[in-house]
Amino acid sequence: MRALRKLIFGETVALPVGVALVLGAALALHALARAWWPEGGGFVLLALVVAVLAVALAPAHRRR
Amino acid sequence: MTAFVLTLCGAALAVGLELLEALAIVLAVGSTRSWRDALIGAAGAVAGLALVVVVVGPLVLARLPLGPLKVVIGVALLLFGLEWLRKGVLRLAGRRSPSSSFKEYLEEREALEGMAAPPPGRPDWPARVIAGKGVLLEGVEVVLIVAALGAGPDGLAPAISGAGVAVVLTVGIGLVLHRPLMRLPESHLKYAVGIVLSSFGVFFLGEGLDVEWPLGDAALLYIAATLLVVSQLQVAALGREPVPAG
Repeated sequence: MRALRKLIFGETVALPVGVALVLGAALALHALARAWWPEGGGFVLLALVVAVLAVALAPAHRRR
Repeated sequence: MTAFVLTLCGAALAVGLELLEALAIVLAVGSTRSWRDALIGAAGAVAGLALVVVVVGPLVLARLPLGPLKVVIGVALLLFGLEWLRKGVLRLAGRRSPSSSFKEYLEEREALEGMAAPPPGRPDWPARVIAGKGVLLEGVEVVLIVAALGAGPDGLAPAISGAGVAVVLTVGIGLVLHRPLMRLPESHLKYAVGIVLSSFGVFFLGEGLDVEWPLGDAALLYIAATLLVVSQLQVAALGREPVPAG
């Protein structure tokens, strides 16, 4: 079970939680910001994913 | 064309690397216990995976409309891709031991050598379970990655071709074994797979939510370039920091 959980969620909760937040934010913006979302939404998504990666790597920066 | 080439390369690399890990476990079981039990365990896992394919394929993927399907694929690829990318950054920065299927093979052999063998003529269940579990866990990831890459528009042919190339290469490596396994730059290859899978994840998630990517499929290139630059900056920053003691 532990191996399966690791396979699905990975080694850190930051990534699944981060991806869930990206999805939530994207769905909200898709519904609310219809004027600019189709043209600009992709770059917002990319920025959010970059932020998730940075947060997932933050513990490695703190471990000095 | 960009999507075709990236899907083919992404599927080939991801499947190849996962199969190498499964191969390391099966070889370790076969060479320390019994080839028959190792192959029976692996075959059982392949049968289990066939069941997963039947469920993931027609029952789940084919029944979802294209928009939500792309969102599901995008999220799945992001979960896999970002995890590979995170580990890749840590490995390239020297914060995590390099990925090595050969090392995994040696560790698995050492663990198996410490286990009592069954009486002659009896099935070696521990060996079967270890080989089966290894193949099943790596195989589930293979199935999910190929299914996700293949479910995109025109993605099935390059995803299956890439997986086929990977199977042939991995079996080839398995036949001549140790040296190629030791020489593979696995950490760098896994980092590259992380970039490719994450790029497809961002791309499909966007498409599923009505994003019109500038330059169409070629957006994959600037998404990948952005992730490459950002992750390399992280590698450089982590590499500059002192490695923690212990």
